Amino acid sequence: MPKEIYLVKVGMSMTEGMVSEWFIPDGGQVNKGDMVYALETEKVNLDVDSEYSGTVKHLVEVGLTLEPGDVVGYIFEAGEAIPDDLVIRGSAAEPAVTPEPAAAVPAPVAAPVAAVSTPAPTPVASIASTGADGRLKSSPAARRLASELGVDYTQLQGTGPGGRIVEADVQAAKDSGGAVQHLQVVPAGVEPKASPLAKRIAAERGIDLRQVRGTGPGGRIVQADVAQLQVVAAGAGSSKPGLSGPQAGERLPVKGMRKTIASRMHHSLQNSAQLTMNMEANMDDAVKMRTGLVEEWAADGVKPTYTDFVIKAVAKALELHPMMNSQFLGDEILLMGEINIGMAVALPEGLVVPVIRNVNKLSFKELARESSRLAVAAREGQLGLDDYAGGTFTVSALGMYGVDTFTPIINEPQSGIMGVNRIYDGLDWDGETPVKTKKMNMSLTWDHRAVDGAPAAEYLVEVQKFLQAPYRLLV
Amino acid sequence: MTEHNLDVLVIGGGPGGYTAAIRASQLGLSVGLAEKAELGGVCLNWGCIPTKTLLHAADVFREAKSAKALGLDIGKPKFDLKKVVKRSRDVAGQLSGGISHLMRKNKITVFAGDAFITDKHTVMVNDDVIIADNIILATGASARNLPHISVDGDRIWDARSAMTPKFMPKKLLIIGAGAIGVEFASFYNTMGASVTLVEVMDQILPAEDAEIAELAKQSFSNQGIEVLTGTGVESVEVGKKHLTANIAGESRKFDACILSVGVSGNTEELGLEALGVEIERGFICVDEYLQTSVDGIYAVGDVAGAPCLAHKASHEATIAVESIAGRMPHPVIKERIPGCTYSHPQVASIGLSEAEAASRGEIKVGKFPLLANGKAVAIHDTDGMVKTIFDANTGALLGAHLIGPGVTEMIQGFAVAMGLETTGEALMDIIFPHPTLSEAMHESVLSAYDRTINF
Repeated sequence: MPKEIYLVKVGMSMTEGMVSEWFIPDGGQVNKGDMVYALETEKVNLDVDSEYSGTVKHLVEVGLTLEPGDVVGYIFEAGEAIPDDLVIRGSAAEPAVTPEPAAAVPAPVAAPVAAVSTPAPTPVASIASTGADGRLKSSPAARRLASELGVDYTQLQGTGPGGRIVEADVQAAKDSGGAVQHLQVVPAGVEPKASPLAKRIAAERGIDLRQVRGTGPGGRIVQADVAQLQVVAAGAGSSKPGLSGPQAGERLPVKGMRKTIASRMHHSLQNSAQLTMNMEANMDDAVKMRTGLVEEWAADGVKPTYTDFVIKAVAKALELHPMMNSQFLGDEILLMGEINIGMAVALPEGLVVPVIRNVNKLSFKELARESSRLAVAAREGQLGLDDYAGGTFTVSALGMYGVDTFTPIINEPQSGIMGVNRIYDGLDWDGETPVKTKKMNMSLTWDHRAVDGAPAAEYLVEVQKFLQAPYRLLV
Repeated sequence: MTEHNLDVLVIGGGPGGYTAAIRASQLGLSVGLAEKAELGGVCLNWGCIPTKTLLHAADVFREAKSAKALGLDIGKPKFDLKKVVKRSRDVAGQLSGGISHLMRKNKITVFAGDAFITDKHTVMVNDDVIIADNIILATGASARNLPHISVDGDRIWDARSAMTPKFMPKKLLIIGAGAIGVEFASFYNTMGASVTLVEVMDQILPAEDAEIAELAKQSFSNQGIEVLTGTGVESVEVGKKHLTANIAGESRKFDACILSVGVSGNTEELGLEALGVEIERGFICVDEYLQTSVDGIYAVGDVAGAPCLAHKASHEATIAVESIAGRMPHPVIKERIPGCTYSHPQVASIGLSEAEAASRGEIKVGKFPLLANGKAVAIHDTDGMVKTIFDANTGALLGAHLIGPGVTEMIQGFAVAMGLETTGEALMDIIFPHPTLSEAMHESVLSAYDRTINF
């Protein structure tokens, strides 16, 4: 009896998804444990394993929007008769007609097939097959090999199923020497390859090396790469040539993650009374403390970022100002019991906001470790739905790009979001004498429906106090 | 007339040219090499290699002379100039033959003769017409002349006659105290000549750190070399038995004179002017991937500008070829090219001098004298020091300057450290073997951070 392949449900809030890629072609053989298709949802991309061995028959094309639980294909055991009139659904041009299941197909199969036709077909099939949706099709083994060999796999033409980049492509690129490039895929908890000098400069300037593209031999991050980042941060802002990505003149479909971000951001701006205020914090002590902690915790592989300082300060201040940790629900304001801080992480395909739970109860070291784990998982597309859940306040950092102030948009239904800006050499006055001081702007956006300006300012001052006396973040 | 179609034609068979040809062949390009004289170029035939052979003989001779200090009795050492020079020529010949073998092994067609570029893809060498997608100029450099002093090969020598002397001058004048002049001064002084070394700049070895150059000057003076800096030679007149030089208003007699006042690129008679290849002060202008102002024409090594060093040429050759082959090579960072002078004492350096570094920002300087190095004492050669310069903020190694025995072999350690962007902190963590001269490198770094142990 054939086994159904379902569109798996990942996380409670998943309402729709699609097969973004078949790893096993229609009619191909699959072994138990092999990856059979790639699932794409609003927030998560996931490779789905097969629970059985046998011959795979597709029921949907890639790109067709489905509901979780829908059957996307069958696996026929060896010797089982495979009906030759199974129709693959999905192409937009095709009318949504489901032919009667053939008599040979066992009865239980018929129902799921019918279910497939329920959602309206979406005209994305052609895009998905070319991979122009921005998601790079590549096998994990290929990515690992690329990392080892220092090959920029994003530049390669895949020869695997559906244009997927497979190990052989990476090896071929390495052998021909053509696409040898300088991109690192940095696994969780592993420091990227960088020269001691580059590390030192990055540490001093608070640059996260995992976000730096290495151009040295074998993709090693060298001084020039870090220095270049500084130039970009200083506002040169020219885009690097030779990177893959959207080209001028193209039309990009608004779907998946982009669609979600677009609707949520727009909705947030339209449906709340949000506004932003800025305040400067003296970061002298925070810079010193961070330098000390980086050294002290190096052996444990924990490296606190300035964003970690802000996250902790924001959480500590929320304990004292619970109104900022609330949701405005129309006829009541819900004060949240937990302090869970979302941290915005930029990915090539868009923004994600994994959540660090109970920040006020974590030690600073635990917090630094958790934020690092989430950032790495986010970049590797390995965040689970639970990693996104339960945020009560958000921190968004643009300081590494040299940004001095911005107006972050509230992540609904929260009431506040803190923007983290760059640290720069500012001035304080010691009597009549100017003193060079590390400064940072904080950009707080809050919902005026829940909190007025004066209490919001009091909250911001609280955060400032914590940052200016950072030892308080440790206790 | 024979026509050849190639991906790359290299003009010049020195360290830049032959390296370019071999690398091109490795990358699967069809490649030819035009050479008008001997494969191996000046370096191998008339520069680095034969002079190092001579200087090695001088080193052994000097040590033999001081053997008594070690408790040895080997009598009074003597030498036969003809045999010393012959060995130097034999070594050059042997290595040049090795290059021919490498050309055959890598299937590189060698065109013997003068090359002339008729258009940006066509080169003539005698009866051969070579059509090449890319041309790499590796034509090297020649000794500069002074307008008022011309080399005659008899008593007024260029480097080439100085390394094949027909007689041992009793009194020798050397004009120009760059690496070449200093090496000849060291050689002839050791072999018994009374040497006067004249430099128009304020320090000998003008490319080196001032303190190191001063130490070298003191050491040369102690060995009996007369060193005159900030001094020009107004005229040299050749007589029957002597030549008379006018130095700072004083007329002095010498048996011979060596002119070593730098080099200029070999850019003439190649057809470059007609092609519009930009040339500035005797050297071809190139971009970071060694391409000239004309698409598809590259220049590497001496002809592409200072520093005129063989290892710079071969490195640039690799970059140019990989760039042609569509690879993405890393441009050469000029501050990471080491330089070596094989006098006694030897001088080796990489990166910025102390004065250059200090002008760019806050620095830490470490110094360690070989007097405090056990191995130097053991080998009876403590004349020297190791100086290191770090960026005070980042710990970047900005420069290293060494003088003393074995430093030309040691400088690579700092080249590696600099290439891998090692910081002072990281270098202090490295374990150096004992007893070696290289421990002085470690101690110098420690000294920059006020942590030196043995001084």
